[in-house]
Amino acid sequence: MTASAPTTHAAVHAAGVWKIFNEGLANEVTALQDVSVEVADGEFISLIGPSGCGKSTLLRCIADLTHATRGDIKVAGLSAADAREQQKYGMAFQQAALFDWRTVRRNVELPLELQGWDKAKRGERAMELLEMVQLADFADHRPWELSGGMQQRVAIARSLAVDPPLLLMDEPFGALDEMTRERMQNELLRIRKETGKSIIFVTHSIPEAVYLSDRVVVMSPRPGRITDVVPINLGERNEDTREAEVFFAGVTAVREALRGHTSGGGVRARVGEV
Amino acid sequence: MSDSSHVGVTTQAPTAPKRPASTVGRRARRGLVSFLWALGGVALTILMWELVKWLGSVMTLPFDTSDSAMPHVWTMLAGFTQPEVRGSDTTVFQAVVSATLYSLLVAMGGFIIGVSVGLLLAIVMQRFAFMERGLLPFVIASQTVPLIALAPLITGLGNKISIGSFQWGTTQSVMFIAAYLAFFPLSVGALRGLKAPTSTALELMRSYAATPRQTLWKLRFPASIPYLIPAMKVSAAAAVVGTVVAEISTGVRGGIGRLIVEYAREATSQPAKVYVAVFGAIVLGLLAAGLVTLLDVYLTRNLPKERQA
Repeated sequence: MTASAPTTHAAVHAAGVWKIFNEGLANEVTALQDVSVEVADGEFISLIGPSGCGKSTLLRCIADLTHATRGDIKVAGLSAADAREQQKYGMAFQQAALFDWRTVRRNVELPLELQGWDKAKRGERAMELLEMVQLADFADHRPWELSGGMQQRVAIARSLAVDPPLLLMDEPFGALDEMTRERMQNELLRIRKETGKSIIFVTHSIPEAVYLSDRVVVMSPRPGRITDVVPINLGERNEDTREAEVFFAGVTAVREALRGHTSGGGVRARVGEV
Repeated sequence: MSDSSHVGVTTQAPTAPKRPASTVGRRARRGLVSFLWALGGVALTILMWELVKWLGSVMTLPFDTSDSAMPHVWTMLAGFTQPEVRGSDTTVFQAVVSATLYSLLVAMGGFIIGVSVGLLLAIVMQRFAFMERGLLPFVIASQTVPLIALAPLITGLGNKISIGSFQWGTTQSVMFIAAYLAFFPLSVGALRGLKAPTSTALELMRSYAATPRQTLWKLRFPASIPYLIPAMKVSAAAAVVGTVVAEISTGVRGGIGRLIVEYAREATSQPAKVYVAVFGAIVLGLLAAGLVTLLDVYLTRNLPKERQA
């Protein structure tokens, strides 16, 4: 394994990452096999693939929510554990996971509270973020009074609270209807533009991955590995982007990349190709 | 609903709907309705009692409905105004009230100790899996010991305790037994509650590099409230029953348990008097339940209705 330290601080640097559950046991599962990916500063990367391809596992390894069995992961030049301790990333999940007993504002304040910010400062910061996700009017409401899309916007505001350079998003729009979903995608791109965050975005929607990303990382299951990386060049996204030729070309490219490794048998035998 | 200051904002910034202002008023009305239902229930019970008595006078029932076994409700009520013992100034009513208050205080003491210990055990068991494996069997086994066996044991051991000016008395024994019964439902309920947070919520806390203590206070404890409230209700009932039974088996004076025994001795001459003491015990239970309900309303004020216990 050639896991030399990165010379420049990429937002995320993962080299030769393996994740094996129950290693050495009868029910051993290789969730990630020799996965390497580099995310540049300010880059938007999507991880796409069918269920069980390890895209969430990879994200969780980067977030230090689980430990990679082997391999090297650096976030902003730090080990994954140090990056988590120093709050170098913000995380958003498919479930907004807002706390029922807190108001919307106090949900956004939570990470700041844990970092020991004083009350006035964290209230100010929370309101600033709620302005950004256009929910300032709902600051004193309870999460359960909000729609699914609004809850997810609060979750995004919360993930930005400590102003981390990196956002890790695990199918954040997966539970939303198509219309809300497209609106949220535009919101996310706007927030990205305003804040300059690097983003790793897990999804299993091809159009979503294409619309949002600079690069789409295509993964394949059993064992989970990267099979292709599709660069997307849509330029500035606008109303027409979703109907543009270049968008469909990107969708087709990703779809083919996905199909190329899921059709036909003998996946195991072809591992070496990649 | 229409808030003029927000009109004209784009669809992306929906206006906050006005919260219904009268949730308190609605709650009060609901409370009044359920109070009336409860009153109706009491009236129905009295009616049934008198009906059975009347039936007993016109036909043969398989049980005794005479005044000595089933006194009239008004005889029971009249019993309240009689002097406690012949020629004394205090009425039975006063005696029952003071006994009920005494028992309530002891039960509350037992409840508070029981809840504290139960919560502490739950926290320790949640935090350390080996503690759960090691402690839980003892926690469960503790409840299989019959109270009758426990009471003399605790009194015997307790009486040897004397720290400075503090001397363990029978009241302490009664409180201990109440706490002993109260801690169990709470620790089991609290343990479930502390484990209630979803894995996503727990991972979120981990992503924030939250310490175990922060996770306990900011996530696990608030998330356990809907489990804690029913557990507290059971604990409060257990503390009351524990107090009354322990008062009887340790023979401590001043409480409602002792009063029931004393009045039962006079059952042949004054059959209504036993029921008077039982009323005290019922009021005691209701007071305890009411106090926990107040706590419930306070603790769940911020939760959606379906999550309120």
